[in-house]
Amino acid sequence: MAIALGLAAAPAFAESGQEWLARMGAALNNSSYVGEFVCQSADRSERLAITHRVRDGVVSERLVSLSGNGRELVRENDEVVVYLPDQKLAIIERRSGRSDLLGALPQFEGRMASWYKVDWVGRETLDAFGPTAVVAVRPVDRYRFGYRLWIDVDSHLPVRSDLSDGSGRVIERLRFTRLEFKDDIPDSAFEPALDRRKLRWVRQSPQADEEAPAWRAAHVPPGFRLSASGVQALAGPSAPVGHLVYSDGLATVSVFIRVPNAGHVPSEGTSRSGVASAYTTVVDGHQITAVGEVPTRTLKAIATSLRPASASPDQARAASNRRD
Amino acid sequence: MTDRIKEQLSAFLDGELPDPESALLLKRLERDDDLRGALSRYSLIGAVLRSDGDVPAARHVAARVSAAIAREPVRDAKFLRVPRRDELLRASAGLAVAAGVALGAVLLVQQVVWQDPAVTTAVVAQAEMPPVQPVADESDDAAVAYVTPPAADAPAGIPPAELANYLVAHYGYASPLVRRSVGAGLISDDESVFVETLPPAETADP
Repeated sequence: MAIALGLAAAPAFAESGQEWLARMGAALNNSSYVGEFVCQSADRSERLAITHRVRDGVVSERLVSLSGNGRELVRENDEVVVYLPDQKLAIIERRSGRSDLLGALPQFEGRMASWYKVDWVGRETLDAFGPTAVVAVRPVDRYRFGYRLWIDVDSHLPVRSDLSDGSGRVIERLRFTRLEFKDDIPDSAFEPALDRRKLRWVRQSPQADEEAPAWRAAHVPPGFRLSASGVQALAGPSAPVGHLVYSDGLATVSVFIRVPNAGHVPSEGTSRSGVASAYTTVVDGHQITAVGEVPTRTLKAIATSLRPASASPDQARAASNRRD
Repeated sequence: MTDRIKEQLSAFLDGELPDPESALLLKRLERDDDLRGALSRYSLIGAVLRSDGDVPAARHVAARVSAAIAREPVRDAKFLRVPRRDELLRASAGLAVAAGVALGAVLLVQQVVWQDPAVTTAVVAQAEMPPVQPVADESDDAAVAYVTPPAADAPAGIPPAELANYLVAHYGYASPLVRRSVGAGLISDDESVFVETLPPAETADP
């Protein structure tokens, strides 16, 4: 889809980025549609089909890779299933009673305004969608990414978004190539196009009866706070892993704490998958992995400062000095 | 790091290192973490931080590295290129390395210039948690930030399968603005994803 720059009809009122984000948030919470989009980054260009339905407050979404591997991701409220027919594998992640899970777009007010600046950029015409409102969400420091959003002026849905680093360089671009609104999408549209009986099923779920991990980050980047903690089963480790979530209100970092399997040498270093990165280190014999859609420095800052709650202030200070 | 290398680095920053030696230094920067760290510690960086980047030396270095990029094959200018590990290894003898090194050096300068020191002084408080402290900004990190290709000998991190399992657990918490991108990464056409999954939490069916 070529992008044409141009001036759309000038609105009769002063436009603001905050207002357009609010409209976009409302549209994301209430619209049902089908379409296709392209996820493009330096080393990847992935075309996907999307089916999104909001019915009676229940959000259902299905992403299908169009690259031919048959992989799908189906979400219904708090349950996510990743289908990997090429691996003969399906992974279920199910949570319950978490109203903030898969939540809506936050308000860029209050403490959020300390870490992100919302700017109205202007209007721009995209060939496939006509006039859009362009809004930039800029981070104030290097601990989080920024966004530029092209919001369709009719549907209020984001039809293109650029994820960028602090200098405005694009890391990933997601753009719709087709978008069609549907009043009612049948349940069958969320059934994976594969034989479920041929899959190995792996369940990753929180362990409600397990005590939350007694680990905390002694230092976090400005604006980040602990927003969730728990223990969950995870494919791979023989025992449940601790899971902490730190958030600045928009960007999130999950921290996983696990005891390495017997004979397994803990990994250390950085990894990357699309917009998400991971930083792994070892603290007190535990493998600590921070994962999130943030710069690596943010992951490293949180992961390396994690301490068991029993650590004395002197131990924490000594560890901090070693890190510095 | 030898004194000779330090002298070369200093001369490079001063714009006095001959081009052939500059090219060699750029290649060395690509694979030498200590050298990149030294670069970031040199007085140039301090000057940049103190003056919001508006110093002739910074512009001079950026111009020199940009010139080095200009002499190399052009890459996709739209997106930041983070080479895969195997590409990095293969590229050690190729021109792409020089371009990558030069890009990293430019980014090093640009990131340091862009950082706002005032922002990092805020202290975050949590009602139910012990007080936490802000992370001290580490200027040295600029050399290994996310936009810089990792060194070929850097720790590899967790295997792709383990990362994918974590991402599935993280997916529900991801920012609404990038959640679809995270989902796209999970089902992307990447042969390495999930192939090593060990399923102790396996069940017979959903």
